[in-house]
Amino acid sequence: MKNLKLFLWEWKHFVRSPFKIIALGLFVLASVYGLHKGANLYHKQTAEIETIEQGAQESRQEALDNYYIPKIYSIEGKPWIDYQDPFWGIWFSTPYHYKRPSPAMVYSIGQSEQFGFYKRIIFRASPSDPDLAEEIANPERLQTGTLDFSFALLFLLPLVLLVLLYNLKSAESEQGFLTLIEVQMPARNRWLLIRVCFYVMLFLLVIIGLLFYGATLTNVFEITGQAFGQQLLFSTLYLLFWSVLYFFILRNGKSILGNTLKMSALFLVFAFIIPAAVHQTLSILKPANLMTDLIDVRDEKEALSKLSDSIFQEKLIAMYPQMANSPARQDSINTMDIQTSAYSAISNQLNKKAIQFIEEENREKNRFISSTFWFNPVSFFQNKFNTISETHYNDYQDYRNEIQTLIDRQIDTMNLDIWNGVKVDESKFREYYEMMVIE
Amino acid sequence: MWHIIKNEWRSLTRNRALFGLSIGFIILLAVTILLGNWQIQKDTEQYTEAKNHLRTQWESIKEMSPHGAAHYGTYVFKPNTLLSSLDDGVNSITGKVLRVEGHVQNEIVYSEASQSQAISKFGKLKSALLLQYIIPLLLLFLAFQSINREKQSGRLKLLILQGANVTKLAFAKAIAVSFYGIGLLLITVLVYTVLNLNNLTADILYRVVLLCLLYSLYYFVLTTLTIYFSIRFKNTNLALTSMLGIWIFWTIFLPNILMSSVEEWHELPSRESFNQAMREDRSKGLDGHNPADERTKALEEKVLAEYNVDSLSQLPINFDGILMQEDEEYGHKVWDKHFGNLRSVFKKQKQSYQFGGLINPFISLQNASMGFAGSDNLHHQEFLVQVENYRRVFIKELNDEHAFGGSKTGDWSFSADNDFFKSVKDFEHQPVPLSVVFNNYFIDILLLVVWGILTSFLLIFGTKKMIIL
Repeated sequence: MKNLKLFLWEWKHFVRSPFKIIALGLFVLASVYGLHKGANLYHKQTAEIETIEQGAQESRQEALDNYYIPKIYSIEGKPWIDYQDPFWGIWFSTPYHYKRPSPAMVYSIGQSEQFGFYKRIIFRASPSDPDLAEEIANPERLQTGTLDFSFALLFLLPLVLLVLLYNLKSAESEQGFLTLIEVQMPARNRWLLIRVCFYVMLFLLVIIGLLFYGATLTNVFEITGQAFGQQLLFSTLYLLFWSVLYFFILRNGKSILGNTLKMSALFLVFAFIIPAAVHQTLSILKPANLMTDLIDVRDEKEALSKLSDSIFQEKLIAMYPQMANSPARQDSINTMDIQTSAYSAISNQLNKKAIQFIEEENREKNRFISSTFWFNPVSFFQNKFNTISETHYNDYQDYRNEIQTLIDRQIDTMNLDIWNGVKVDESKFREYYEMMVIE
Repeated sequence: MWHIIKNEWRSLTRNRALFGLSIGFIILLAVTILLGNWQIQKDTEQYTEAKNHLRTQWESIKEMSPHGAAHYGTYVFKPNTLLSSLDDGVNSITGKVLRVEGHVQNEIVYSEASQSQAISKFGKLKSALLLQYIIPLLLLFLAFQSINREKQSGRLKLLILQGANVTKLAFAKAIAVSFYGIGLLLITVLVYTVLNLNNLTADILYRVVLLCLLYSLYYFVLTTLTIYFSIRFKNTNLALTSMLGIWIFWTIFLPNILMSSVEEWHELPSRESFNQAMREDRSKGLDGHNPADERTKALEEKVLAEYNVDSLSQLPINFDGILMQEDEEYGHKVWDKHFGNLRSVFKKQKQSYQFGGLINPFISLQNASMGFAGSDNLHHQEFLVQVENYRRVFIKELNDEHAFGGSKTGDWSFSADNDFFKSVKDFEHQPVPLSVVFNNYFIDILLLVVWGILTSFLLIFGTKKMIIL
């Protein structure tokens, strides 16, 4: 009963300190702004994907209406284009693969502005192509960072919590009430803990309210209800992390100034210095890759074009043994197409080899960053929030892997169809773009 | 006044906690510069290695058709500037590799930020991080009770009775605390200078001096404002929490919100619509009624008349090379229009953001800091323009070789020899002149000066209204 009274008494303290109310109000405002930022980006990316997909569908429909449905397989003025040829059939099927934003993006924009989210899949493509670049944005804005909800949580929450807690116990100590309180409440730590708990609960309620508000902006519950629970769990853990640290400072400190100094120092160390030091160390240990391995593939591809037809065919049969008895091989038809598709298959292998090396280096970087999480909690939570909102590096890595799978699938189909002398008709054309979907 | 400053300094240095903290800060600053330098050194080594590797590849081309070579192309890597060891600016965000080839102006790709999971929202541990975020906070803690302490201890009355001027006293305290920050700044610069003695140029030194002045001004603004609060509020804690609130608002809250807002006021196109617009202009003609085929026909007639022949086969040169160069030059107009628009939007965004300095001097400091360190978007855009200019010369040389190197129209098998490829010059990055940077950041410098004057007036006003007895 006494504890509850104390808990409720703190409410009076809170409403009588305008500075604390303003601080919490500012946090709510910043969070709402951040949630809208996340929601806007989600809607913007979704709309962009729809526009691109609509364009791709129109282009496919045009091919169907003008060539495949009326069975006119040539084009006036461009005799080299044969719509029945698997090469051109695949070319005109214009499949795109997208990294569809998660509605949970409302909570964290994460690394979504550093990566592209749509790509046309074509047998000459690679997941490291420059056209998979991020959206055009002002680099100074990217460097400053976007004030999304996760930013508010990661950097404003500890500061606002500092403002809410900074004078607990020390104010009484400075005004000489502390001994009086000790007489009335012998368990001083419990007294302080209950007061801290009041602010933690207050903050938690605010966070829950904000999470619900965010969920209404992008229909988080309709699509990914799990994300809400995870976001709530990790937001609570983050709040508890700072609350525990601040509690110990308050418990051991005696003056408001001393406590404020210590709490601010702690914030600076965890939010600025440690992540920045890890970033700097990583840049020294593993500088940014200039992609020379990938560039070198250019020379290997250049050498490919000088190979004779027989060597080309040998390489291709090594990759696709089932081709050895195909009609095309026996009749030697469509030599140009065979060379082109074989070139795509071999250069795809070369690309994959180079990319594998680069990705392994990136994985090493990620392993290094993860190994610092035990003393770098802000980065840990930052990446956790990004994972929940599917805007983490790994989500884009998965997307690139999917692109590679689709490229492989397209190349395999094209090679086998060309070598088997397949003629593309309406149903085959539809098959070409329907196979390019990963659920 | 000088006596008061000296006295204030004496009391600062007598504070053992502050002395310990200062030693810690000096060590941290020195380590930061060392790490920054080490990183720049490693980056430069990697950059040089990659640049030489690509050049060797280019010079090793024994025989290749000039047009094939235009498709083969080359790559340009973005170098780091020496001062980016102090302020990294946008370097981690922007791409590092730019492909140079025929028919297209590519965009820079493969940024450092895209090569790993998220680490630090405020960048690497560079001196700028400490000088912009941490030291101001320290100054704030040093200054917030300077006048109140004198008031509460009764020393202020004594000083006034002895003939001291309150305004002078307040200014002396502001200067003394600012000097503490400036001292740390000068130590940073000194360590940086010693470590980079061999690479220092006049341009770098001027930039460093400008950086020092700007940071000093910012520190003065911050301490003066804190002392003003110390005068106005009876409760020292209120003075501290108010200044903490301002620090949060200025350094964490406002830059984010303002930068996001200016991007909405001056909107950039989406990548798809940007590329689509360029594709359309490229095929239809810039004004929409000058299709590529018509342009080809007009050029053909012009060249035939120039050489006084009736057909392309009679030409002593290879018309295909001329046609490709003409197409390139038409492409230049398209790239200039669209990339020019992008640059103009960036410029508008920057200018709007710079006016944010009216309500937040931190914005002016941050802008000018990365500007003079050569790590801002202006330097980045200038690098991209230089690469594009190089690309135009590079491709023109290849097209000219195709046109006038000895082949005739329709001969795509013509190959240039190794001497020709060796004669094509490599890209050399030219630093942006300081005068250009200064013009771009004049508004930030001016706003910081205005802030300095404003806060000084505020302090004078505050001391006049102060109730001492």
